[in-house]
Amino acid sequence: MTSAQNTEPAAIRLSGRIDSNNAAQTEQDIRAQLAAAGSPDRAVFDAAGLEYISSAGLRVILRIRKDVPELKIINVNPEVYEILDMTGFTEMMTVEKAYRTVSVEGCEVIGEGFNGKVYRIDKDNVVKTYKNAGALAGIMHEREVARLALILGVPTAISYDIVRVGDSYGSVFELLNATSFSKILATQPERYDFCVREYVKMLKKIHSITVPAGKLPRIKEHELRSVRRIKGLIPDVLWDKLFRLTEDVPESDHMVHGDFHTKNIVVADGEVLLIDMDTLSVGHPIFELVHMYNAYVGFSEYDPEIVLNFQGYGAATARRFWHDSLAAYLGTDDEAVIKSVEEKVRVISYANLLDWSSRHSAPSDPATAPTQALWKRELIALLERVDTLRFDPPCDVSAPAELTLPATVDNLPRVTDFISGRLSAAGVRPKFVTQLELAAEEIFVNIANYAYTPYTGNATVRVAFTGPAESPDSAEITFIDSGKPYDPLKKDDPDVTLSAGEREIGGLGIFMAKKVTDDIRYEYVSGQNILTLIKQVR
Amino acid sequence: MLNINKTAENGTLTIALEGRLDTVTAPALEQELRNSLEGVTELDFDLAKLEYISSAGLRVLLLAQKEMNVRGEMKVRRVNEIVSEIFEVTGFNDILTIE
Repeated sequence: MTSAQNTEPAAIRLSGRIDSNNAAQTEQDIRAQLAAAGSPDRAVFDAAGLEYISSAGLRVILRIRKDVPELKIINVNPEVYEILDMTGFTEMMTVEKAYRTVSVEGCEVIGEGFNGKVYRIDKDNVVKTYKNAGALAGIMHEREVARLALILGVPTAISYDIVRVGDSYGSVFELLNATSFSKILATQPERYDFCVREYVKMLKKIHSITVPAGKLPRIKEHELRSVRRIKGLIPDVLWDKLFRLTEDVPESDHMVHGDFHTKNIVVADGEVLLIDMDTLSVGHPIFELVHMYNAYVGFSEYDPEIVLNFQGYGAATARRFWHDSLAAYLGTDDEAVIKSVEEKVRVISYANLLDWSSRHSAPSDPATAPTQALWKRELIALLERVDTLRFDPPCDVSAPAELTLPATVDNLPRVTDFISGRLSAAGVRPKFVTQLELAAEEIFVNIANYAYTPYTGNATVRVAFTGPAESPDSAEITFIDSGKPYDPLKKDDPDVTLSAGEREIGGLGIFMAKKVTDDIRYEYVSGQNILTLIKQVR
Repeated sequence: MLNINKTAENGTLTIALEGRLDTVTAPALEQELRNSLEGVTELDFDLAKLEYISSAGLRVLLLAQKEMNVRGEMKVRRVNEIVSEIFEVTGFNDILTIE
């Protein structure tokens, strides 16, 4: 009873009492719901309404678990939790206690998307609510990918609590004085250039990140599904070409956000953050651009009011922002180049929009018919002249931007070679390369000597840049290990004024690393030491 | 990689280093010093071809300096810019006799 296709966990509600009187019936009901959900190998039992479970009920869960290996019970009230704890269920599977309830009545709505609303519950905290039935699975997924993104170096917000809101769920984020780029563009047009610059910087940053295999879905598969669903909407010969062109887009393990528009970039306490991580995927940047085009132009191409209602700024601003971001992303002001990439992007954009509208409205809905006709016309015209969707993205999407290897001193040359190779390729001058190698050596040797002792474990080294790809502003080298929590920055600096006789042997490494960089940041997140060296390299 | 070239003359030992003196290569230099300082009253390091030195390398230089404080004297010659800068931030330019 497994399905490779369906990786979404099924959400199943348990309620009332489950005992020998109704255990058989309950089992039948659960199995029917699992079958309806495509027999996934993951399921979440929502026990919010569960008052009591007897040993007959527990046996039902054990039998279901044979077919659904990844079973989780959530929202468990204290009495039921005690039963599960006593019987050892809390050790066999994930059991989560009930969530606290938050009321959003009278709270300011600070954002609204397709899936729910975001409310400000007090000065520093917001709650993101979901209106769909699978809310909890969605919240869990988003929290998981947000954690992954943070570890991989994306500045983002991670929800620190899951709460009940009415009869659904919400996730709580701490966002100090957060303002979205949409709001900035709508109310402070003088900061337009700032928004374009920071938006493109974030875009390039995430596209330069390599994601370990299997951690995130492949966006190309998602787009191919869209393309398959619109078969019949355009002439077959053109549809064949559309499918072939989409399939021909190179694979990539680099991160894409999947919904990268100005509502999802916020400035919080002076820091630019990327939020709404539920669509995070890996793939070629063209698919990112597709969803950007749709957000700014595609959805509202027929009715400009749509973008105004969604983003808070008008169609002219949206179109200009799209154009200027694309130009900055591609690093060119050659209109012919920009237009050529835009046409490739629009091919998949229209396929995506047609698929979206045919799934969200009736075929002959008079409200959407003119919009659909426009998208179809544009798609057909483009397919007659576009012969490839390939273009050179500004970030090298094939070369690995990170290296994972056993943290042993013997591997030091591999680490320094990797770092100096990346830095030199980005045009960083030799003196800065050597200084960063020096700092990197101290950090890596520290990990090799202390993190896993007496065992050996892996370390991951990542090199990232901010600013233009051909002449970056700063370099960031990140070291990640899963060893003992250890913040080397806590160590006192040695006294460098002492004479040779007074000086202790050793203890200089971290001090030197600090001296040759501009900043070193350390954090311990999800069982990993994450240390980042930052240096201006212009 | 590190090449260690030794020349001994009348109690003066000159060690010319070429390449990288880091965590991986420093132990070889330390071993070399342990074996060669007998009867040496002046130790000269020629660093003209030293491209890189990390704290592990500095540690060996400090060990050598401490040892030579007892035996005689130690000099560091022909220091290039990158190494010189590291000596400076770590205070080694005050510890070592740099010519």
